[in-house]
Order: sequence, then structure tokens, then C-alpha cells
Amino acid sequence: MIRLAGVTKTFRDGEQALPILRGVDLEVAPGELVAIVGPSGSGKSTLLYIAGALDTDYGGEVTIADVPLAGLSPTRRAALRNRAVGFVFQSFNLLQGLSALENVMLPGMLRRDGTDRADVRERAADALDRVGLAAKAKAPPARLSGGERQRVAIARAIFTRPRVILADEPTGNLDAVTGEGIISLFGELARDGLTVLVVTHEERVSRAAARVLHLHDGRLSS
Amino acid sequence: MSARGLLWIARASLRADRRGAIVNTAAACVGAASLVLFLALGLGVSHAARRMFPAEARLVDVVPGAVSLGGVLGGGQLDDGAVARLRALPGVADAWPRLALRVPLAVPGPPRGLDYNWPPGMTVQVPVVGVAPGLVAQDLRGRPFVDPRDGGPIPTVLSGRLLEVYDKTIAPAWNVRRLPPGISLVGVEVPVRIGFSIVPQKTEARVYDGRLVLAGLSDRVPLYMAAVPLDTVRRLHREYGKSDQGYTQVTLLARRPDDVPGLVAAARRMGFAVDEGERAAAERVGTVVLVTTGALVLLAAVMCALAALAIAQSLSASIRGRAKEIAVLAAVGAAPADVRAIVLAEAGIIGVLGGAVGTLAALGVAALADRVALGLLPDFPFRPETFFAFPAWILLLGIAVPAAAAVVGALAPAAIAARVDPARTLS
Repeated sequence: MIRLAGVTKTFRDGEQALPILRGVDLEVAPGELVAIVGPSGSGKSTLLYIAGALDTDYGGEVTIADVPLAGLSPTRRAALRNRAVGFVFQSFNLLQGLSALENVMLPGMLRRDGTDRADVRERAADALDRVGLAAKAKAPPARLSGGERQRVAIARAIFTRPRVILADEPTGNLDAVTGEGIISLFGELARDGLTVLVVTHEERVSRAAARVLHLHDGRLSS
Repeated sequence: MSARGLLWIARASLRADRRGAIVNTAAACVGAASLVLFLALGLGVSHAARRMFPAEARLVDVVPGAVSLGGVLGGGQLDDGAVARLRALPGVADAWPRLALRVPLAVPGPPRGLDYNWPPGMTVQVPVVGVAPGLVAQDLRGRPFVDPRDGGPIPTVLSGRLLEVYDKTIAPAWNVRRLPPGISLVGVEVPVRIGFSIVPQKTEARVYDGRLVLAGLSDRVPLYMAAVPLDTVRRLHREYGKSDQGYTQVTLLARRPDDVPGLVAAARRMGFAVDEGERAAAERVGTVVLVTTGALVLLAAVMCALAALAIAQSLSASIRGRAKEIAVLAAVGAAPADVRAIVLAEAGIIGVLGGAVGTLAALGVAALADRVALGLLPDFPFRPETFFAFPAWILLLGIAVPAAAAVVGALAPAAIAARVDPARTLS
């Protein structure tokens, strides 16, 4: 579950204050796929990073997976991201020094609970299998197509079995057919009970969403 | 993040930037190699110098003063009373008198079984000194060192360094063979003519044959003298009517090296002099070695510091280029402390790898240098087989110092990495 209440965000350009979010209220329930659409520069990504506990410089209240973010230390916020949030980015953001499988393993290797590496590897292989890329486990990102890279990114996002998936223009760098495959994958994740929030400016994504919200002038509207 | 996870991610980051990792490892390697090589050289030369000048830090050789007020102050001649007073000084563990034999003694032929090591017909005059058994007891391993009143062979102790000098200098000069390698001369008997001198008109009226038996080798015996029991010298002096002129030297054993300066001062206050010939030579050589090694180690430390700076600069540039990668790590659950730890672990791996490679390189360079030096240098006494010493602590230091330097160098880049704002970087 994601809950934002009265979230504000202001950028500063020298002396000038540029409000980008002006009191955003949002609630996304488990099993719901919600799309936020809006023009470039409207603050969609900013909203996503606030909802994902990556951006801490904002006003208002945010709760993710039943955890209010107010007052959380950087370490606890990081642990929450690791445990409860999966990010998917437009430009995939895979680490070039790692294979597809190792990229998926990354959140597991960051854990403090002493999870066995073999166990992490096995779960990462399962996650890759789920997105249909078991055969490409050893391939470095440079040898994968755009669609395959995004699938690896999704496998990394679902590896920790998070409660929330946050996707930032996930089909922005993909062709139509590949994009459709990714969108249907998000639909599957929502049906599995995950809270999925996608920011996009593409209609095909919003068509698959249960709800579509428009971000305009710093505010959300249906 | 667990230590295993930390190393896994650090290794992956290094793999992603192989070139940077290799350059940084090379910097650490140069620092480590110079540090290990210079330390090993200093230590090796120091070992060689100690073989050449084996002065013991706790020994003080007291001799009669050349000009003294000893008569007034109760000093001057080194008699039994003076030995007792010296032994009673604070900080003295023991005092061993020495008495030079004033009866000539010559070796007219080779020890039995060593004919090939002796020029035919040669007679060698041997300076003899009588020493208290305690002085050489540690080198005799229980073998007796007492005056044989029955005319049996006189137990004798030679300087351990004399064999080296014989092999490298005397044997070539005499044009005879060197001693067989590994030979134990202990127990070898040498014929002597007591009262005979090769110097004209110095031979005593009475000359008789005797034997010396080598009881041991000791660095506490002067290089070109044979040490026999003090009682033997006293007996021979009585036999030949030599007057008692007091001991020629008293060797004091200090309880601790720190007591030595106080003992030297006390002996001088008593009107005696202190023979610092060998000690001074050893100290001079030791000082030269220490200063040279210190300078070289300082140079190596500077190289390590430069390596740390190079690593710091390289990692800082790398961090700037990897901001997005760091932001992704943050997105998947890395806290700022994790990011800092990852960068430091990368530096640590670089330092350990560079240190290990540098240490191996130093071992190789040392072996090569030894080979070249031994090929070029003449075979002189105490020529070391190696100019380097590699105890385990030097090898460990060769890895630990570059690793520490790399980690210190990575502190600033790690702090920069931990401050990367993931939201702004990923936007």
C-alpha cells in the first residue's frame, strides 16, 4: 500500500523557488495498478522517488507498506527500500560489471540478515525465470536487448518479493511489442497482490491501469 | 550488509572498472614493493653488519687507564680488588677478568688432519689471553674449560669469525686450501711450543711442547687471539717468573643494555678506561645502517602516501563517473553507510592485491639483486649470501601498509559516494 498525504516539493533555482508538487494526496491499494500521467517536467518521477523513500526533501506525509517515512533514519529507509519496494527505471539502470543474474542478486547481497549466497542465487534465478530470461542469466547487460534488460530490471525489482513496485516510464525505451509484454507483466504483478504505481506519458500503459491519475500543475486529478 | 555481500559488490564494482582498478593496484604495488625491498635491505645489511661486528649490547670492556688518578681514587690497576669493586657496581650482572699471556707461544705445524690447510714448515706465533670460564661458558655447551695441571691439552676458545677470516683471507694468502665446508673443529688438537717466539731474542730460556684443544668458538674472544683458562695463564706466568701486573681487561655484563652508559661512566670515575673499539665500530655501522634504512623507509612511506593520493584521485574520478550506479545501489537498498563501506572495500581489495603483488615483486627483485651482487663482488670475509632479510612481519607489512594507505586514500571518495543524492541522480 502507498499513501501520500499533502505532499509538497519545491526545487530552488538560485533565489527562485519552483514548486513542483503542491499538496499531492494519493492512495494505492495492494493489487492495484495505478498509472500517473503527465507532461515531461510535471514532477511524475519526483513523486515516484518520494513514494519510494529515495527523496527525503519534501513536505507532507508518506506511508509505504504500512511504514510511515517520517523520522526514519537513512539506514532504516534503505532497509525499507530493500525489503518492500522494487524500482523499475526507463533506462533499466543495470550495473554493467554484473551479469543478468548478478544484477538480480544485488538486493539480496545488500541484506544484513546473513542470507546464504547460494540461496540468493537460487531466488534470483527464479525471478529471472519468472520474467522469461532464465536462459540469459549469465549474459552481461550489454548483450541483452532493450526488452530483455527491462525484464532483468523487473526481475531485480521483484527479487525481494516487495509489496510495492514503482516504475518510471518503464516502456519509454522499448518498441511497441516489447512494451506490451512489459505492461502485461506489471498487470500480472498487480494481480499477484502487489501495489504497482507507474508514471508514464504513454497511453498504452495507462490503458492497462486500473486507475489513471493526471499530474498537472503540481496536483493529481482523475 | 554482510561482509560477504560487501566484498561481492566491491569486487563487482572493480570488475566494472577494470582499467581504474589495474592502475590503482599498480600504484599500491609500487608503494608495497619499495617498502618491502627497502626494509628487507636495511634488515639484511644490518644482519651482515652484526656478523662482522658482533658487539653485544650488554658487554663493557674495562681496561686500565692510560693516565689516571687511580692510585688516589682506588682505581688504576685491574687487580682482584678492582674486579670485586666493578662487580659490585649497580647494574652489573657479572665481571670476567682477562689476562694476556706474556709467555710466547707458537704453533709449529698444522692440527692433526688439517695438513692441507697449513703451509709446509710454517710456524705461527699465537697471541693468547686467559679468560674467566664464565665469559665463554655460553659457547662451550658444557665442555670443560679448566687449566690441565697434569700437562694435558689446554682447552682453547677461538673467535667464531676467525674461521671466516681464515677461509676468505688467510688461506688464499698462504695459498692453501680452505677448510672443508661444514667441518666442526671442536676437539681438534694443535701442537704448540710454549716459551718459543718467532721474534728474535724473545724466546724464553725454557721451551717445551704442549697441545691446545679447541673447546669452542665464541664471539666474545678477540678475533686474532686464542683464549685459554685464566688459571693456565697464571700458572705459565708463575712457571716463567712473570710478575703480576694485574688483569689486562675486565669484561662487565650489564643486567640490561640501558645500564651500559652508567657502567661506562662509573668505570671511568674509578680511574679505568673503557675499550670501545669494537663497540664503537659496531655502533657506527649500526647507525649508518639505521640512518640509511630510515631514509629508504621514509622514501617508501612517501611512495605509499603518493600511491594513496593517486588512489584517492582515481577513486574520486571513478565515483563521479559512477554516480548513477551508486544511485541504483541506493534504490535497491544500500544505505549511505553501505555505499561508503563498498568504496572503502574496493580500496582495501586494491591495497591488498597491490601489496601482495608488490611484495612478490620485491622478493623477485631482491633475488635478482643478490645474484648480480654475488657475481660482481669479490669473496671477502663475512660477505653475506644475501643482502636482504624477509621475516614474516615485513611480508605482512608489505600487504598491510598499502591496504591501509589505499583505505585512507579512499576515505574522501567514500564520503563523496555516500553523499550521492539518488533521487536527483536518477531523475
